[in-house]
Amino acid sequence: MDEADRALRNVTFGLFVDLGRAPTSDQVARAGGVSRDEVRSAWLRLHSAHALVLTPAGTEIRMANPFSGIPTPYRVQSAGRWWYANCAWDAFGVCAALHTDGRIETSCPDCGQPIAIEVHAGCPDDEALVFHCLVPVAHWWDDIVFT
Amino acid sequence: MALFRSEEHIERWLAGRAPGQTLPVTKLSELALAWWGDRLDPDWRPHTRDENQGILDRLNLREAFWTLP
Repeated sequence: MDEADRALRNVTFGLFVDLGRAPTSDQVARAGGVSRDEVRSAWLRLHSAHALVLTPAGTEIRMANPFSGIPTPYRVQSAGRWWYANCAWDAFGVCAALHTDGRIETSCPDCGQPIAIEVHAGCPDDEALVFHCLVPVAHWWDDIVFT
Repeated sequence: MALFRSEEHIERWLAGRAPGQTLPVTKLSELALAWWGDRLDPDWRPHTRDENQGILDRLNLREAFWTLP
């Protein structure tokens, strides 16, 4: 990843937090002082480097991990906003990335019962819950959306 | 990567499929802090493979399941 791509990646993530949702390529272009085509080319390289995940069309952000660009079953209230995370790991990651406490809301995939967790100083208030990761680490990026 | 109410719920949800790995939610929280904590830093740089493996190792996630490619 060269410096220009790293800088655009940081602009993209910064805008995600400022806006509370995935920025468009036009918004990143304006903030970064480059063209939309340059942003889209950089995003494709960042996608290949697993620094973010684009939609199948390759023009919008699907994941700026730990944040999700689309609604998911993992909602996180943190830093005065609600966010969507890509998975349980990323839900805790939202609080970690924002360096704030938060509240995670989801449901048990087995029984459908709601799960709500308060996170204070990185610690969950319900220690009885368990996390399951189905895909071995070596295969996470074979299909990151499934992972 | 999902949260469940208990290991019994995971077993029922798997319905005979091969399980992955199960962690206490407290371990997940530690993992998330180490993995994502720098994600919004202004001078963020991508973690190397060895840096990420080091995070997993420090949390005693040393089984083959947790070995990065």
